Amino acid sequence: MSVPRQAWLSALLAALDARDVLVAGLGGNARYLPHMAPRVPHWALCDSMGAAIPLALGMALARPTRGVVALEGDGSLLMNLGCLATVGAARAANLTVLIFENGAYESSGGQALPAVTVDFVAVALAAGFRRAERLSSADELGAALAQGRSTGGPTLFALPTRFDPAETIPPYSERPDEIRANFARALRGT
Amino acid sequence: MAGADVTSREGARRIVLALEAAGVSLVPTVPDTWIGWLMEPMRASRRLRVIDVAREEEAIAIACGATLMGERAAVVIQNAGLLNSGAVIASLVQLYRVPVFLLVSYRGDVRDPVYYHAPKGRATEPTLTAWSLRFARAEPTRIAAQVAQAYAFMDETREPFVLLFSAEDLA
Repeated sequence: MSVPRQAWLSALLAALDARDVLVAGLGGNARYLPHMAPRVPHWALCDSMGAAIPLALGMALARPTRGVVALEGDGSLLMNLGCLATVGAARAANLTVLIFENGAYESSGGQALPAVTVDFVAVALAAGFRRAERLSSADELGAALAQGRSTGGPTLFALPTRFDPAETIPPYSERPDEIRANFARALRGT
Repeated sequence: MAGADVTSREGARRIVLALEAAGVSLVPTVPDTWIGWLMEPMRASRRLRVIDVAREEEAIAIACGATLMGERAAVVIQNAGLLNSGAVIASLVQLYRVPVFLLVSYRGDVRDPVYYHAPKGRATEPTLTAWSLRFARAEPTRIAAQVAQAYAFMDETREPFVLLFSAEDLA
């Protein structure tokens, strides 16, 4: 069973701590987030496919007292699957990775991913993540994040996400200089 | 590399001191032979945290993340990995203007006797020029000044800087 992306995002935003930082990989998450007014510093990539997790890792290592949450698509993760080993080796206790699994390259027209089901939860555990599991309902996300926070990470949650080719996703609404300035301002304020 | 006493590693220690003096705290890296020599004093530093990374693009993104949080990072990779990294340099470092310092082992230049590195050596400087990246070759007697100048350049311009080093520079 898959869940609409916006339901995952709404549950995530409701569960964030005031000192968390969000990094969204390119695509639907990055396009929706600015319209959902996150209360925390957020960096939504409009390109750099596969870079969200290492970008978030750099933030997490630089500021161990802040929780950092990386939002990445399954296609983007496949482009850079080795980054899970990097995260596992770095033992970033304050990093949470959310993988939105919809089996499609949604941003480029909905082309299918390579025709194999990759178990990202198993890969993450094998790569040294402290905790990894697949959730089935947006209602589970808040408690899962809280538990991950209390036990320490790195943590990965795989989120089965509905792909609707007819869904109208808003376009990228922030430009790079704006993203950088907004991020720095929000960081100073939290 | 002919004639270089790479066993002394004085040059490697100078590079580590230069990074420390520049305020670097995080060093994401992918190894090669020369970088292995450099990492011995790097890992011994109390001020630098070395992060072992699976692929070079990740190292660059990690450095961007640290920079955005107010830390200074230095990416240490081989030029093969630099050549892999065009997309992340264009779409992250340059698009968002997040300055990153790249310390790159320059395999295949005239000082490297290993024949199979030669094509990478020939491609390196033309590629850096094509990507509009500011770069310099390391000069062992000026390495501290070069590193300091690189960070000053990055602070002023928000552009990345690449410093190419050879085994001789570690001697």
